[in-house]
Amino acid sequence: MRFHGRGGHGIKTASRIVGTAAFLAGYEVQDSPIYGAERRGAPVTAFTRIASSAILERGVITQPDLIICGDETLLESPASGVLNGVEQAAALFINTRNLEAIRAQGKLHVRMVALDITQRTSDRIGKASALSVGLGAAAARLSGLISCEQLGEGVRTELEELGLDAPMIEKNLLLAQEVYAELETVTVEPRKFSATAVIHKMGYDHVLLGTPSILAPGNAEARQTGAWRVERPEIDYDSCTRCGLCFVHCPDGAIALDEQGYPVIDYDHCKGCLICLEQCPRHSIRSKKEVRSW
Amino acid sequence: MVRRMLTGNAAAAWGARLAQVEYVPAFPITPQTEIIESLATWFADGTLSGKFVTMDSEHSMVTAAGAAAATGVRTFTATSSQGLVYAMEALYTVSGWRVPFVLVNVSRGLSSPITLGPDHNDVLAARDAGFIQIHVETCQEVLDSVLMAFRIAEDVRVSLPTLVNLDGFFLSFTREPVEIPDAKLVQEFLPAFHPQHPVFSGSQSLAQGVAVLDGATYSYFRYQMHRALENALEVHEEVAEAFSRLFGRRYRALEEYGMADAEIVLVMAGSFATKGKAAVNRWREQGRKVGLLRLRMLRPQPAADIARSLIGRKAVGVIDQNISPGLGGILYQEVSGALASAGERVPVMRSFIGGLGGKDISQGEFDWVLEALDGAKPSDGPVPCQLLFTDAEYEQVRMALSIAGKSQGGTAS
Ligand code: SF4
Ligand code: SF4
Repeated sequence: MRFHGRGGHGIKTASRIVGTAAFLAGYEVQDSPIYGAERRGAPVTAFTRIASSAILERGVITQPDLIICGDETLLESPASGVLNGVEQAAALFINTRNLEAIRAQGKLHVRMVALDITQRTSDRIGKASALSVGLGAAAARLSGLISCEQLGEGVRTELEELGLDAPMIEKNLLLAQEVYAELETVTVEPRKFSATAVIHKMGYDHVLLGTPSILAPGNAEARQTGAWRVERPEIDYDSCTRCGLCFVHCPDGAIALDEQGYPVIDYDHCKGCLICLEQCPRHSIRSKKEVRSW
Repeated sequence: MVRRMLTGNAAAAWGARLAQVEYVPAFPITPQTEIIESLATWFADGTLSGKFVTMDSEHSMVTAAGAAAATGVRTFTATSSQGLVYAMEALYTVSGWRVPFVLVNVSRGLSSPITLGPDHNDVLAARDAGFIQIHVETCQEVLDSVLMAFRIAEDVRVSLPTLVNLDGFFLSFTREPVEIPDAKLVQEFLPAFHPQHPVFSGSQSLAQGVAVLDGATYSYFRYQMHRALENALEVHEEVAEAFSRLFGRRYRALEEYGMADAEIVLVMAGSFATKGKAAVNRWREQGRKVGLLRLRMLRPQPAADIARSLIGRKAVGVIDQNISPGLGGILYQEVSGALASAGERVPVMRSFIGGLGGKDISQGEFDWVLEALDGAKPSDGPVPCQLLFTDAEYEQVRMALSIAGKSQGGTAS
């Protein structure tokens, strides 16, 4: 199974909760996260393999049985790779309250399962971004390999390792049980993986091509880091005095000043760090949770 | 004995902990910090007694490890990729002192360009440094090999530093069930270090790493080091036997997988061998006689065993996760050399380069390799090394190049 989310969501811990639960249930297990030069908000992927005999696989999973997507906005971003191998997956789980809207797009041909993990996490533990337990519980249930008790053991083991205190762990256990009870197992059919590779006969490319240099200046703009945003800063222009402090402090240069000197946020690149909000002496910047329906 | 989910990094730290290391010099570099982090915690909370010291570089770190080992304390350290290369001068220096300690390397591609994925050019750059080199495939093997490495290194017939190599991400960040051996049994396997050669101490004068300034004396000491490394083969066998008696897992300098009647053989090292084994199993299911030889001990080279294992096969393909630019795969050369000195030939030998910078080797690519070996003939003439790289991957790279403003230039024909 493959987990997707953003840095800070607990994606690695989700994969470990299932991994530990399956291990305690007697399976052979392998789990691993993959990070780039990541930071909070950037897409993160983690993998868990579960088998009844030795696992002769390693590294990234390109043909998952289950895809667990912690953030529906990642579905829009091909670079996040959520949809790699989705056609053959037994199910795609999405943390969303907008499943109907996603279905209506008609783009995905896979069994989709959804639950609003963010809401349940927020209700149970008061922190909407700590998705690890909810996502881990969803994966455990969908897999059909792990009992609710074993899931609880996995949650406890992993959260203790992270140093959470007993009351917090209890709340998380209740959350795990709730998610587990609300979902049903999906049937994962054993399948043969076949992939043919067309090997490239690589010749010599001109030195202009074959060296790791970048000639196009400013191409970082092509990377729309706005998708990393969990919180969205919004400026109240009625109270803004055009002091320009937000413009000066934005670490990403995502705020410009318009002709009258009002700050304008470039939402394609604003990462939602909320430094502008902290800096604004007039409290003219508010934050809203980012909701983007696919 | 407990069985727990551990990353390769955690398994390395557990190995050092069970070996009750007394001195750990460290320089933090990703992705090995988890090894150092765990050890730092254990020294701080009293689980381990001795000294944990952070250094200003890997060069100082390896020098400190050698110096500490020269005083007769059990020493452990760890690094990764650029760090190992940065320490290169010190690697040669301390092995010349003939001091035993264990260095774990987390293999990653060398710069430039910069990457984080596993690749063996870092550790193979150190292959001539006089360290014993053990390349592991699983997280369990990380822990077990660290324990075995101390016993081999400290054996008076060897007395050399030992490097245990694990792949970045594929092992370092990956958790697998790992048996943590019982501490009492480990003490039986690896008692406290009592050096039998002279060590620095307050009461004994000793000069180490002296200048010799003449070729004959230099040759003598260098060749002695070679002999000591050769001894490590026999010592490894003894240590592996003792290890298996206590812990039930038997390691060999070479691991043979599906080799009994194999006509086509893949030769690999490190964690990607796991994927090679899956390919062997799939081909075996179709009745094809395919096997895999994993090079676990790179230094000393078990040349006679390599020859014994490969001679008589129809085709051998070495998949190198490294590239010596202008030559090709390094292990291909090493395996060919082992066969050459045995005086017999394998009719078809082919060189493949795969997994550079952690690029996946898909099962489709393994199939392509095995088909190529199956169809190869001795009369094909010289065949250059083949990079495992797909048309689709080439397209992807070309796309990235065009974003970087480099669509002009084209392919030179
Ligand atoms: S939240 Fe504000 S400071 Fe941060 S990137 Fe967005 S505009 Fe800039
Ligand atoms: S810091 Fe606040 S008041 Fe100043 S320009 Fe920005 S939004 Fe307006």
